[in-house]
Amino acid sequence: MRHAIEVRGLVKAFGDVRALDGVDLTAPAGSVLGVLGPNGAGKTTAVRILSTLTHPDAGTARVLGLDVVAKADEVRDRIGLTGQYAGLDENLTGEQNLVLIARLLGASRPQAKARAAELLERFDLVHAASRPAGKYSGGMRRRLDLAASVVRRPEVLFLDEPTTGLDPKSRGGLWDVVRDLVAEGTTVLLTTQYLEEADQLADSIAVIDAGRVIASGAPAELKRMVGGLVLRMRPVRPEALPQLVVLADGTIGAAAKIEEGEAVVPVAHAGEATAVMSRVTQAGVDLASFGLDEPTLDEVFLTLTGHRAESNDEKEEVAA
Amino acid sequence: MTATTWNTRRGTFAQTASMAARSLASIRNNPATLIEFFMIPLMILLSITFFMGGQMMGSWQDFLQYAGPTIIVMGLFFAIPTTGLGLHADLKSGVFDRLTAMPVSRFALLGGRVAADMVKHAWALLVVGGVAFAIGYRPEAGAADVIAAAAIVLAFLFCASWTMVLVGLTAKTEDQIQTWMIALLMPLSYISTAFIEIDTLPDALQWVARVNPVTAVAESVRGVLAGDVSGGYLLSLAAWCAGTLAVFVPLSLRAYRRKLMN
Ligand SMILES: Nc1ncnc2c1ncn2[C@@H]1O[C@H](COP(=O)(O)OP(=O)(O)OP(=O)(O)O)[C@@H](O)[C@H]1O
Ligand SMILES: [Mg+2]
Repeated sequence: MRHAIEVRGLVKAFGDVRALDGVDLTAPAGSVLGVLGPNGAGKTTAVRILSTLTHPDAGTARVLGLDVVAKADEVRDRIGLTGQYAGLDENLTGEQNLVLIARLLGASRPQAKARAAELLERFDLVHAASRPAGKYSGGMRRRLDLAASVVRRPEVLFLDEPTTGLDPKSRGGLWDVVRDLVAEGTTVLLTTQYLEEADQLADSIAVIDAGRVIASGAPAELKRMVGGLVLRMRPVRPEALPQLVVLADGTIGAAAKIEEGEAVVPVAHAGEATAVMSRVTQAGVDLASFGLDEPTLDEVFLTLTGHRAESNDEKEEVAA
Repeated sequence: MTATTWNTRRGTFAQTASMAARSLASIRNNPATLIEFFMIPLMILLSITFFMGGQMMGSWQDFLQYAGPTIIVMGLFFAIPTTGLGLHADLKSGVFDRLTAMPVSRFALLGGRVAADMVKHAWALLVVGGVAFAIGYRPEAGAADVIAAAAIVLAFLFCASWTMVLVGLTAKTEDQIQTWMIALLMPLSYISTAFIEIDTLPDALQWVARVNPVTAVAESVRGVLAGDVSGGYLLSLAAWCAGTLAVFVPLSLRAYRRKLMN
């Protein structure tokens, strides 16, 4: 089998809205594919089709070489899904949720209990095992949700915005868990609105907007397309701003600009930023603050499409 | 740590049982809900018996003896929309997305809800029947017949619940389910022999009352409890039950599959 995930010309319309408008995606077995896009881009629709929850209007989607429509049962047997909205029974405790999934997947009662205990341990939920899932915090819920989707280790795992709404610590924790699963050989398709997340986890990224893939490639390639990092420097004395621009341009030949009291310098990598900073220090310019920013999803979109990342939903609201 | 793994599978029936256990697990976590299941049929029994029974038959004791069992059946019949409402809520929550994307029998996902509700109905029947006995109802027949009557009632509720499965799957809102419940349950209940005798109805409705499944269950239960089994009504009930299942189970499964396409 060449690819764990293979999507060709996928189309799905809801009334007038073309949620997917000819999407192609591929992910080799054992890799992580990041699907990056703003609200309403079609991420959830793509995940739902791949996990057999929705039928496409046109195009084909194969998971592990199996067509998701014709071979839905076999696909279900080998995938795991963590949807955008928690797929938990709020009335059941964390443990009961996991036991239910294991039982439905064929485990005996002792096996189900043993598996639930392992997962609670692994996902750091032992302390909350006997509390109803409805009472969990956002981060705990997400972890339980992820645990539920790996009860019987899936070959392909779909994660729809796994860290949206989590604080940085929980987000980092979830990333570690995903990395562990990948290390064990699971193929992962993950959707996200954060370039950083895709960058951290994905081997390749597909950027989608309004139901189309507008760019794809390895994270490094994509970042190169959008111009990499941005160094921001705020001098103590605003009069020093033009001097900062000259210094930066002189050091790395970048097209530095002045924006809202800051010198904004596009740099290709952290080394260039260090070079600019040491030049500035040598020249004796006092800085009130400085920082190195990753390009945001917004900047990616601005570069790739020439327009800001606006969601379909917002467009609809304007139209309505 | 080596992960627990297994290669076994469990059949549709076992999966249905797991799904039923899931619906019932909330009772274990919150036992107070046990009271909710019998409140409505109990209040229907008590209020009709005490407030209307005397007027209708001279004394409420006589009324209870005559109409008690069928009023209990009615009370339980009015509880079947819980199946539709529960399923509707399940489908709206994310749990069913997860379950649907798993290799689990589609029948089990729907049947588990029905099975769990049957347990609730059985519990309500036990409690409300017990209260009826406590305030003076005495069946003429023996214990075996009382159990047979209970089995008939539960079989009727089981088949009727599958209509609510389809309603729960196709209704857009909970209000729609409530509306359907009134539209279906009220006429079925009142144009039957549950409360009244057939001769008191206008001619056109007499025919409806005669073929009505609620009449069939009411007369079957009455007959069995009086130790006088009327085969005709039992047969009619069995036919209704089989017919309902033959139509509504496949329709429900189809509606469930259709939901996937959108
Ligand atoms: N069941 C549905 N009925 C009608 N329209 C839908 C349905 N599901 C999705 N859409 C529309 O399809 C488009 C894509 O939606 P989708 O949920 O796939 O986007 P998304 O990328 O997951 O967005 P978000 O980041 O907000 O989760 C949106 O315009 C949405 O309104
Ligand atoms: Mg989404």
